[in-house]
Amino acid sequence: MADPPPYPGTPGWVKASGIAGGVLVLLVIIVLVTGVGGSHGPGRHMPSGSGGAPLSSVTEPGAQQP
Amino acid sequence: MMLTPGLRKFVLTAHVISSVGFLGAVAGFLVLAVAGLASQDAQTVRAAYLAMELIAWFVIVPLAFTSLVIGIVQSLTSQWGLFRYWWVLAKLVLTVLTVTVLLLQLEPIGYVARAAAEGTLSSADLRGLRTSFVWPHGTGGLLVLFLTTTLSVYKPRGMTRYGWGKQHEQRPLSQP
Repeated sequence: MADPPPYPGTPGWVKASGIAGGVLVLLVIIVLVTGVGGSHGPGRHMPSGSGGAPLSSVTEPGAQQP
Repeated sequence: MMLTPGLRKFVLTAHVISSVGFLGAVAGFLVLAVAGLASQDAQTVRAAYLAMELIAWFVIVPLAFTSLVIGIVQSLTSQWGLFRYWWVLAKLVLTVLTVTVLLLQLEPIGYVARAAAEGTLSSADLRGLRTSFVWPHGTGGLLVLFLTTTLSVYKPRGMTRYGWGKQHEQRPLSQP
């Protein structure tokens, strides 16, 4: 039985996408670590306990009320 | 295990419907997120966030999971495999990433919807959260889904090393 042909290598579009994705992940990490984009995560901007505090704590009376 | 041609077409149809539906639902979500952020009309703002929560839970999440599960089943029951071609692997990674971010966003979406129901949407803190529904989460999700759809159509060439090995270990068996 003949040996299988050698692997032709990773396509260019995969390499380019991998580099772009890596740069993107690096940027996100930099933003998160330096805090340039503010605090992040699903619980941000929420009172402690992510929704546990009463909503009235963030109310500005009169604004955007019909 | 390979599927019969009829069943394969059925699974493909279900995958296209769920995937394109997922994309369309995220587009609708994004429009509502922009309306909720930009509108000067309080009723429109409240309605937008209430609708966003409903769309997220009852349209986007079911379609996202349907698309992911059917996509995995479809690839495992066809010659494409799940880890044999780069484009299939890329789709899997991007879809898992999108579904993960979506699940993490459900709590903030619910929080803003509850605030909308009680008319407490004017705080600066909530404005930041509402902005994040537009960018990065809504727009980013939509761009990723454009990408996965494009990959499905173009199927760019290239096998993984695993796929290459599998293809060449199977060939001698199929050729007497």
